[in-house]
Amino acid sequence: MTWRFLLAILLGGLCYLDRTAACQMMLHRPLVVATLMGAVFGNMAAGAQVGIMLELIYLARLPVGASIPPDDTGAAVFGGSAAAFASSSIGLDAGSFTALLLLSVIVAEVGKVADRFVRKVNGRIARLTMESVDRGDVQAVEQGLLAGVTLFAVTGMVLALVFSGAGVVVSKELLPLFGPASRGSFAILLPVLPLLGAASVYSCSRTERTAAVFFLTMAAVFGGTVLFRLTA
Amino acid sequence: MTAQALSTRSRSAVWLRQFLLQGCWNYEGMQNMGFAYAILPALRDFYANRPEEALKAVKRHLEFFNTQPAMGALILGASVRLEERVAAGEADPRAIGTFKVGLMGSLGAIGDSFFWGALRPMASVAGTLLALLHPLLGIGALLFIYNGVHLTLRRRGFTAGMEGPEGAVGWLKQAALNVRTDDRKLLAAILAGAYAGVFAARFIPQGGSAPYALGWFLLAAATVHLFTVLFRKAVSPSEILSFLLVVGVLNLWR
Repeated sequence: MTWRFLLAILLGGLCYLDRTAACQMMLHRPLVVATLMGAVFGNMAAGAQVGIMLELIYLARLPVGASIPPDDTGAAVFGGSAAAFASSSIGLDAGSFTALLLLSVIVAEVGKVADRFVRKVNGRIARLTMESVDRGDVQAVEQGLLAGVTLFAVTGMVLALVFSGAGVVVSKELLPLFGPASRGSFAILLPVLPLLGAASVYSCSRTERTAAVFFLTMAAVFGGTVLFRLTA
Repeated sequence: MTAQALSTRSRSAVWLRQFLLQGCWNYEGMQNMGFAYAILPALRDFYANRPEEALKAVKRHLEFFNTQPAMGALILGASVRLEERVAAGEADPRAIGTFKVGLMGSLGAIGDSFFWGALRPMASVAGTLLALLHPLLGIGALLFIYNGVHLTLRRRGFTAGMEGPEGAVGWLKQAALNVRTDDRKLLAAILAGAYAGVFAARFIPQGGSAPYALGWFLLAAATVHLFTVLFRKAVSPSEILSFLLVVGVLNLWR
């Protein structure tokens, strides 16, 4: 198990770096992170299922200006590791899956608080850098930026460890406390989650043209799938 | 006064360093540290053997700066060219600040709308749909669709910026990002509609009749509409998920 957590820390740290500090090449997206965490904790497909659900849900919150969206990377670390671990222990039924997705909202908010903290500490780094530059030390800019990137990376690694650990603990200790019938009470909420994701994308891309297109496509794909099922 | 030319090595360094524009993001100066860090190799070339002026130039770039990170490449490239002119005595140093402040807000708005409001949702929903076939296919599609456009626009923006502020403005007109934004929003809406349709059909209980399926579809469409209205009223996805979590827990103890 130790090597799994070490790998989770390493990959999680890289994904968190991509989130804000470096590149923004979408390596931090829930689909990528949850699949990676699923692979690390023994079931890539289970992690991917979490990623497919979480990928779209938070898209409605844009990282614009000083606003910080919920930490969907952290939610994916938690959900991916928890789903993979649960699938190899108690089994990943629809109720457990839904419960994990809903519990990930707590992680997303904790991650947001951590993100704010890092940015406040970065403010101190920036002030110290400017004082050094005032004294004539131009190299302080490079050192300050390196400090900021390191802070983002270390925080990302710590969050990856904490959230993947929380995922494993929830799957190992919390979910088994409830029987399959009890966990099933969460399952009735599962159909709502992809619709929340679709609404999130729809609200991002809303223009005069898109409203009709969205619902027409939804109807066509729904009708096609139902017909396919009936004839199959 | 003549400024030394920008070496190929420094140009490459500036290009690579722009990927760390948000490396020390903070509430006071936002991307100021990242911008100063990125432009530093160019300043070292232009103000070689002129430490006092180099220091002034670095301070200029430590002032508040914030824009969409990918669009920062354009401003960075143009600022390098402006700094070269300032170092050669052909331009007023204040022109750089005016140029950056003038462009960062509008480019931020254009970039946010294009990258966060259109390209990312489109790539995400395409990735999730393909991930239903195979996770790695979905991840590949997400990264390819997003970065194909993202890295191309960064490179072209930086190159256009390096031609000077005039080149930057010309490229912006030519790039027609507003049209591209609308197109990608339309594609995102189509793909999101498909995603909603797939999942709404997936959860229909087996053996339901046609009117039952129609009722289920209408319920799903109404749910999407309700969430959209809630988002418009500034209710966040976290609040909706928290509400659902509470409902689930209450249902557990029922």
